[in-house]
Amino acid sequence: MRDDSDDPLIGRIAAELRHPVPARPDFEARVMAAVRAGPPSVPARAWTWLSEPRAVAVSPLSALALAAGVGALVIAGIWSASRSTRPGGAAGVAIEPVAAAAPSVVTFVLVDPRARSVALAGDFDGWDRSHLAMRRGASGLWTVDVPLAPGRYRYAFVVDGRRFVADPTAPPAVDDDFGQPTSVVTVSGARAAGGAL
Amino acid sequence: MSDGGPDEALVRRVLEGDVEAFAGLVARHRDRGLRFAAAMLGDAADAEEALQDAFIRAYRALRSCREPAKFGAWFLRILVNRCRTRAATRRRSAGLFVRDEAALERAPAAAGSDPEWREEITRALARLDPLQREAFLLKHVEGLDYEEMARLTGAGTSALKMRVMRACEHLRSMLGEANDAR
Repeated sequence: MRDDSDDPLIGRIAAELRHPVPARPDFEARVMAAVRAGPPSVPARAWTWLSEPRAVAVSPLSALALAAGVGALVIAGIWSASRSTRPGGAAGVAIEPVAAAAPSVVTFVLVDPRARSVALAGDFDGWDRSHLAMRRGASGLWTVDVPLAPGRYRYAFVVDGRRFVADPTAPPAVDDDFGQPTSVVTVSGARAAGGAL
Repeated sequence: MSDGGPDEALVRRVLEGDVEAFAGLVARHRDRGLRFAAAMLGDAADAEEALQDAFIRAYRALRSCREPAKFGAWFLRILVNRCRTRAATRRRSAGLFVRDEAALERAPAAAGSDPEWREEITRALARLDPLQREAFLLKHVEGLDYEEMARLTGAGTSALKMRVMRACEHLRSMLGEANDAR
């Protein structure tokens, strides 16, 4: 295949395109105004409020059902997440919050017997890979409960501190700019479920 | 969009709560980003909006930047995707890319460049397939190697080489005469 690097015409075109393009004088001010409006991580105060213990019971049925369904899958990276159910309810994806706009506990689950550590990261905690460590249970079942206010969240699992894995049971984030596979969960005031962007 | 110590330090300061440190990253990566977006989109206003959007997205996802020292490469990936999205949106909404005359009239004026030659190039770029244009810019203007381009675009190196080769063929065909006349 021909190497065009030494072609004088291509060189002239590239040289022209390397000239700087002036930005409007207020470009940086506009970017920083938008940046100040949205921090990269949930502020400590907000996280403290979100993570306070609340009287929301979470059934393990969904997690166990999921574990039974995928227990034979022992390949690293086979993940699954389920959502919490109402106290005493059947396994499923519905969440009935305590009150409108109140946080609901969402149980994220994955099966990866070979993982040494697993964490949950998402835009609800500023993609902090060390914040939400998941607990290992029997048969490589990892779980974590996260109180989430109504909203739509992008998340991924982080295996062994470095590998991002999307949730295969949830819709992938369509607009994935960040070079990592991510999934989406939606928690609404009346009902919550996994859902696509 | 240089990588290295300053970027790493700035990223860490932002993550530790110093929001204003992000302005340092904007300053360091604005020019290269705007240059790429302007050539990719062919419209100054669209280029600025895509770049601004990319910075905001980068800020909000900064914790997922696994190698702060390579913020530049990570950010370029975001920008490439924002340019793709913006171009696709524009195609859907207006049935055109940068081939329309109105967009060409808003084509970015580059400092120190030859305006007529620049306009010829802008028109020629507008006629390229978007993926060929993207590959050409990343290879010949931004100076990435094919491995870096593959990581950034998700395409294989063979496909990228083919895109660059096709882009160069088309540019030679479209601009050879104009170049000879200069």
